[in-house]
Amino acid sequence: MLFILIAMPFICALTAFLPVGRRFRGRLFFAASLAHACAVAAFWKFSPAPEFNGFLVLDPLGLLLLSIVSFLFLSVAVYMFGYFEHEQRSNRTIIACLLFLLSMMTLVSVSYHLGLLWVAVETTTLFSAPLISFHRNRQSLEATWKYLLVCSVGISLALMGTFFLAVAAHRLNTLSLPAILNGAPALSVNWLKLSIIFLVVGYGCKMGLAPTHSWKPETYGQSTGMVAVIMAGVVTQCSFLALMRVGQICAKTGLYGFFSSILFLTGVLSLAIPALFIIGERNIKRAFAYSSIEHMGILVLGLGLGGVGLFGALFHMVNNALAKVIMFLTAGSVAQKYGSSRVNEVRGVIHVYPVTGIFLIVSLLAGTGMFPFATFHSELLIINAAVSSRHYLLAVFSVACLALIFIGIARIVLDIVQGKQTEPLLKKKENFYMNAAIFTAIIALAGFGLWMPGPLERVISEAVTLVGA
Amino acid sequence: MTSWIDLSCILIVFFALAILATYRIGGMIKIFAAQSLTLGLVPFFLHADALSGRDVAIALGTMVLKGALVPYILFWAIRHVSMRSEVKPIIGVGLSIIGGAVLIAGAFWVSLSLRLPGKQASDLVLPCSLATVLLGFMIMVTRTRAVTQVLGYLVMENGIFLFALSLFNAMPTLIEMGILLDIFAAVFIMAIVVNHINEEFEKGPAAVSRSKMGETF
Repeated sequence: MLFILIAMPFICALTAFLPVGRRFRGRLFFAASLAHACAVAAFWKFSPAPEFNGFLVLDPLGLLLLSIVSFLFLSVAVYMFGYFEHEQRSNRTIIACLLFLLSMMTLVSVSYHLGLLWVAVETTTLFSAPLISFHRNRQSLEATWKYLLVCSVGISLALMGTFFLAVAAHRLNTLSLPAILNGAPALSVNWLKLSIIFLVVGYGCKMGLAPTHSWKPETYGQSTGMVAVIMAGVVTQCSFLALMRVGQICAKTGLYGFFSSILFLTGVLSLAIPALFIIGERNIKRAFAYSSIEHMGILVLGLGLGGVGLFGALFHMVNNALAKVIMFLTAGSVAQKYGSSRVNEVRGVIHVYPVTGIFLIVSLLAGTGMFPFATFHSELLIINAAVSSRHYLLAVFSVACLALIFIGIARIVLDIVQGKQTEPLLKKKENFYMNAAIFTAIIALAGFGLWMPGPLERVISEAVTLVGA
Repeated sequence: MTSWIDLSCILIVFFALAILATYRIGGMIKIFAAQSLTLGLVPFFLHADALSGRDVAIALGTMVLKGALVPYILFWAIRHVSMRSEVKPIIGVGLSIIGGAVLIAGAFWVSLSLRLPGKQASDLVLPCSLATVLLGFMIMVTRTRAVTQVLGYLVMENGIFLFALSLFNAMPTLIEMGILLDIFAAVFIMAIVVNHINEEFEKGPAAVSRSKMGETF
């Protein structure tokens, strides 16, 4: 079953590469996403059996990520119907690469072998690169190059970390996750520490944690909204899953303190740097990219704190993905309507497009963690965990950075929403499909903020136990 | 066979240093091909007494993909651009070599305190692979052309692979092949992007700055 779920989008991607009609491709993408979503929904009820000698296993951590992946692809598929009504360019590359990504991210969620996990994460880098240069101009090529090079180097450091882990586990002579967890006392501690450093730096680079975040503003700023959603919402969180796998090993070997000290360092930097840089930003997509760095920082802080903090981090994974749908799809629809996402060229959106204007305000609130959106709850849980584990300085610092980031994003969003209106490129019409996709995410995020469904709470609790921090 | 392994390890570092000391991009690509072929020989020396199908597969995979196909793709990427010569290093070749020597010394010094568990075929594997990784980094940061940055990345990967080849069989062959294939795909996509960069910078009035072509901007 798991193998079929990986293979299905892959075959669809190959089909999308063939010279078929534009409409057919869009529908194929929607059908593949819908089928994927249905299968994943079924997994909440019946968990599938391990496959390929236990290399492919779906555990609660994987299920959580897989559900996020499914939801985001479905949203993008719906949004895409509206987007390509006004777009003359071919949708071949974008749809084929997105389907390949869907297949690879499914593999990331279910792989139980650290080598296989690396291969899958690296492949997500490769298939997201062609997506960035969808508008083929100099800036987007520069962004693609930066992304490709920084992430490839980063991910090869993770490969080195994986090999160091293999040295640490030389007595077990395998890199399969259950074998390493069961044989944790046999691991050599020095090599394990070295491998943890390399793995955190490598996968952290792919996640866009500071100080290896430099590719993020360019990449998200240049790619279309749909691509930015997938990258900020799930590609980065795939690497977070890899970090949690490392956390599982650390918890078994008593090195969690060492692991979390690295995470605190990079987490604090990932909060401080966007807080400094977002203030002068005039491009809304770039501002949202800084916000994405901040959310990644919050995730690793939660992982480092463990316990309640980890519960918060896992809940934040869901919320961050939903918030990214709202933020980047709205920014993408603004960028398509005005042909720009810079403050000087886009103003007074609410007078011309009332719904999009309201969505922009909502994305401000959702992205910065305001009540009633669930991002508020998960951030509160993590700060609460910091206070109760006596990391007072960390808690105060995080709140201060979040406040600064709120000011930065509020300034740019309010500038775009209000003010003297500028003339859009397209005729004044809201698009049903685009708005429906964004609206669903808003309802889901606000819903989780007011009421947490039982099954979600159960799966997150199981995942926390699984990491064991 | 230890002496053969030692020789290949030293050759791999030497080739990395040679790339650092080369001005012409074509020459750099050829040296890289030689380095990859040497790397492909390592499994034969390591398990000379009991050669398994897995070793042969990895060795052939490395030689064909990295020794032949990758250089071919890189030559394709630079085919119609007047950038075969001059690499324009940020720091001069002389200084690069001195820097490279310092890095090699550093790699040997670091690996003194890292002890590989179990019996090893050669003591040179770890320091040489670290040195190659560091030299790859140096190629990436001191050379400004897009293609030379790809070459730096590839040299770094070769260093990592040297380390991996000589160790053990914790990875199933299929996954090891996956890693190789991934790196190949990475180079393929990078070459396409390099090509797009060249095309984009050749057309239009901005082509005045021809000297900038292929540079990462």
